[in-house]
Amino acid sequence: MLEIKNISKIYGQGTAKVVALNNVSLCVNEGDFIAIMGPSGSGKSTLLNIIGGLDYPSSGEVILDGKRIDNLNENDLVDIRRGKIAYVFQQYHLLPSLTALENVLLPLTFCGADKKDQKALDILKRVGLEKRTEHKPSQLSGGEQQRIAIARALVNDPSIILADEPTGNMDQKTGMGILDLFHQLNEDGRSIIMVSHNPGIAKQAKEIIVLQDGQIVDKISQEGGDNKC
Amino acid sequence: MKLYQIVARDVTRRKKRVLYTSLGVVIGVTTIVAVLTIALAGETKIYSQLEKYGANLIVMPAINDIDVGLGSLSLGTLAVGENYISEDKLPQIRQITDGKIRQALRIEDEGDIATIAPKLYMNAGVKETSVIVVGVDPQEERKLKTWWRVSEGRYLKGPDEALVGATVAELLKFNVEDKIALNGREVTITGILEETGANEDYQVFVPMETAQKAFNKGGLVSSIDIRALCSACPTTDIASSINENIPGVRAVAVKQISETEMGMMEKISKFLLALAGITLAVGCFGVVNTMMTSVHERIKDIGIMKAVGASRNQIIKIFLYEAIIIGGAGGFLGYVAGTLLAYLVGPLVFKGVAVTYVPQYFLPSLVVATFIAVIAAVYPAFRASKIKIADAFRSL
Repeated sequence: MLEIKNISKIYGQGTAKVVALNNVSLCVNEGDFIAIMGPSGSGKSTLLNIIGGLDYPSSGEVILDGKRIDNLNENDLVDIRRGKIAYVFQQYHLLPSLTALENVLLPLTFCGADKKDQKALDILKRVGLEKRTEHKPSQLSGGEQQRIAIARALVNDPSIILADEPTGNMDQKTGMGILDLFHQLNEDGRSIIMVSHNPGIAKQAKEIIVLQDGQIVDKISQEGGDNKC
Repeated sequence: MKLYQIVARDVTRRKKRVLYTSLGVVIGVTTIVAVLTIALAGETKIYSQLEKYGANLIVMPAINDIDVGLGSLSLGTLAVGENYISEDKLPQIRQITDGKIRQALRIEDEGDIATIAPKLYMNAGVKETSVIVVGVDPQEERKLKTWWRVSEGRYLKGPDEALVGATVAELLKFNVEDKIALNGREVTITGILEETGANEDYQVFVPMETAQKAFNKGGLVSSIDIRALCSACPTTDIASSINENIPGVRAVAVKQISETEMGMMEKISKFLLALAGITLAVGCFGVVNTMMTSVHERIKDIGIMKAVGASRNQIIKIFLYEAIIIGGAGGFLGYVAGTLLAYLVGPLVFKGVAVTYVPQYFLPSLVVATFIAVIAAVYPAFRASKIKIADAFRSL
């Protein structure tokens, strides 16, 4: 479904040159749950950003459903963000002026589907926040905010969810709750790619990829994991 | 939820920030509204003073000066019996005057526009005293002398009636219904004028025909007062056109007297307007600046919106909607502040002028302010739309 081939990402030029990713290849199939691990600065987030079209690779290809997306322009990437791929961030990245419900409705608003409040309410119920719909992010706990962010990611029914340290700002228990949610979404048939530097969290994935200095140094398949490329 | 609702929510949360951003527009609009309101009040004052002069154009026989009694304004000495203008020239004078006004105001109305009041000045002995008898066209004269009040009796209606000035009536003990002989012709006093403090107090007014018959001046008048209906009518143009086209008469625009004052007024308001325009332009830059800051402050929000599917156009729209709110608020506040400023400063500029708020400025204030805010927001909005999501999050 999603394939990345020989991706490199280089920041800066000359002596200030930093190689963030060095010839990385990876394959994501339907129903995969991949954790990307590695020390900070190993290129985890950069890889995730490139997979999701938030950043452009310096070289290599990103192929989604048989089509290259690494060279798409803004407008075409917008379509991907509105359908296929959704993001969940460590910092939740909710809009502070909107309520929980409105934050979930945001992607629909940008799609022009502005009359689907019920769909958003259903998803909020699914993430267990049906009683918090009118709260602003500042009135919610970190775990609750992340659930809203997940609900927001789900509202466009994406097939791939990219999560960058989704539990990084939470205690163990709250983090596990969020991971349960990811497991459920994975069971729906959605592919999940999650960046984490926490081995306890990463172990929950079906497959672990270890990055170091911009290169994949290890691939570990766990229960249910099965790397086809 | 619609796009504008996102903006509305954001603006409500960042009220102070939005007000601060609109400050540039507020200052610009305040200055312009204040200047225009004060200028308008001053203009009204000057124009209302001009109105008191009645006629703004006088046609006299060529050569001789004749006192024509323009309210409190004296334009020379009386020299009766020397020269007259033929009544035949009246239609021609009207044609020129109305034509010029039509041209100036771009109207096509066929009816009479200007007030054209011919006068015949004569000296007559009444009760062994010499008084000035003025033959007038009662209707036209009434339109011209807006300040006339009949204190006793009534205004002129038919032939052989007379309206006497307050001083004449008092000195010669005239009463309504009294009959007096003017050069042998008997007329009935039908009304006495309230005191005006001008030459009129010493005059006796009779219908033109009566005067012409009494003094054997059939078809002749001494002078013609003309009042163009609007304050901005081209009186000097009319005067020169009359002078060019009609021989034997001399037309003088009374406006010349106040032209200096009017010119000054115009120059001052032009200068102030230029000042206000510069203020607005500077304000515009201020808005660009604060808008840029606002974009910078919200890089993260922009990144979030793009990450969840906002297109570049939608980001631009969000900033332009915000600009509309900023402009609208700026225009509203600017109008209110400008009007208040006019109330404060107006009386200092024009002594004793009553400044009134001008509701007609409200809508233009909103429109101009919104327009400027939107223009100022275009570049920042464009910049915002180009922000890369990864950069937006990295910069935190």
